[in-house]
Amino acid sequence: MTWHSFFSLSTMESRHLLAAYAVVLVIQIGYLWRIVSQWRHTKAPRN
Amino acid sequence: MKPFLQYSSHVLNHLHKDLRLEWRSRDAINGMLFFALLVVVVFGLAFDPTAYPTTTRQISGGILWVALLFASITALNQSWTREQRNQVLEAQRMAPSPASALFLGKAISNMLFVLVVEAVLAPVFIIFFNLHTLGNIWLLALILPLGTWALVVNGTFFAALGLRARNRELLLPLLLLPVSLPALLAMVQATTGVLTGELDSIQIGTWIKQLTAYDIIFTTICILFFETVLNAE
Amino acid sequence: MEQRTPTLRSVAWLWFAIAVAVLVIGFRQAIFLAPTDAAQGDIFRVFYYHVPIAMLSLLFPYVNFIASLVYLFWRSRDPLKALTADAMALASAEVTIIYTTICLVTGSIWGRAAWGIWWAWDERITSVFLLWLLYVSYLMLRRFSSTGQTQTLAAVLSVFAAVDVPIVYMSIRWWRTQHPAPVFFGGPDSGMAPAMLPAFFWNLAGWAIWGIFILIFRFALERRRQLAEQDAALQAIEASLEIPR
Repeated sequence: MTWHSFFSLSTMESRHLLAAYAVVLVIQIGYLWRIVSQWRHTKAPRN
Repeated sequence: MKPFLQYSSHVLNHLHKDLRLEWRSRDAINGMLFFALLVVVVFGLAFDPTAYPTTTRQISGGILWVALLFASITALNQSWTREQRNQVLEAQRMAPSPASALFLGKAISNMLFVLVVEAVLAPVFIIFFNLHTLGNIWLLALILPLGTWALVVNGTFFAALGLRARNRELLLPLLLLPVSLPALLAMVQATTGVLTGELDSIQIGTWIKQLTAYDIIFTTICILFFETVLNAE
Repeated sequence: MEQRTPTLRSVAWLWFAIAVAVLVIGFRQAIFLAPTDAAQGDIFRVFYYHVPIAMLSLLFPYVNFIASLVYLFWRSRDPLKALTADAMALASAEVTIIYTTICLVTGSIWGRAAWGIWWAWDERITSVFLLWLLYVSYLMLRRFSSTGQTQTLAAVLSVFAAVDVPIVYMSIRWWRTQHPAPVFFGGPDSGMAPAMLPAFFWNLAGWAIWGIFILIFRFALERRRQLAEQDAALQAIEASLEIPR
């Protein structure tokens, strides 16, 4: 496979492959983002 | 021997108390009966049971258990509220009898109520859906109690779990349904197998064994952990 | 604590960098280097994300179970240790849900393209779905229960979930089988073509390292919150003691 064929939206297979990988990235990075933003919102402990 | 007798007498005391309280108002049983009946009627309206006997037989098992499940949930939710009035629950916590005896007494009383509802509902069901069982109907006398116990034992436990929660009534089905799914699968498959006669006795036997194993495992867990939940803070 | 923090931070960043690096290598292996599957074509490459994540999603529930048991053990003996265990239980429950969600969604996307169906009620899919439901109910219990009780009730529910998972698996196994036969530990005709193994192992390693990273990060966040809460409570007490007579 090449970058070109990975991002091609012509066949159902390639669309679904791209969608699957995108979903994984979105969910994982989204969760990491949530942890980071909640970290910033929590006050640092005094000690 | 003596500790066992003592424990049983505690359980029987709790059971007796719950039965007596219920008998005075008969709230739970009436509510459950009516609710289950309504569910059956809704399904009866949704499709025509008499016109499609084969389909009816195939889905009646599921419908029966859905009706019983929702009926039990309505009763289970309020089975603990009578302990909350007049700070009865605090008194129970302080009493020297083991907490699990309270749990068992209540679970058995809930079981009896649901069995009464089933005894009334089953003939109604057969009439409304024009059911002719193709399999061995006496197996239902085994499947129904086992399945009901699976729902009631976990339901009583989770109803106690949610006693001080926000949205208590909502929490019970949210917790009960996921955990009960294997038991629901077994009881629905076994019931449908008996109604349609499609499963042979070995397969139904396996479902019944799974249901029994589920009952034993979760009864044990509930008894072991009830004390923890009662004294959760 | 002051000396530990900078070291911990460096380790955390390093671990994160390793995770990303391994995942990038895994991506390259899966998309560019692994051979195209003879039967399914390129859609098969979803396998390299779906299967490692599915395998890992069965690991985190056990972390939750053990942490819950540890919590129940320390609850009356050493409350501070118990609090740490509870933080780990919560973190691992969330990570379980993340991994299980990914497993279900990617499986569904793959299934539609490869076999024409978005969903099937077979043994594997249904068991994973029930695992997901159990842990969502765990999080709902944590949200709805009154404070003070939350941790204990959640720990008890975790025991129910842990016992339920194998039961679910066994009961559904006996009921349905449509999922492709197990690739590993399956019967004859299982196992992967050797050319596909590097992509699989790089991704397995990558998602495992990533999983550990977000687990520990979420755990640290929960600890930070718990400590902030304790601080706030302490400040309130100190303030009440300073009331002039």
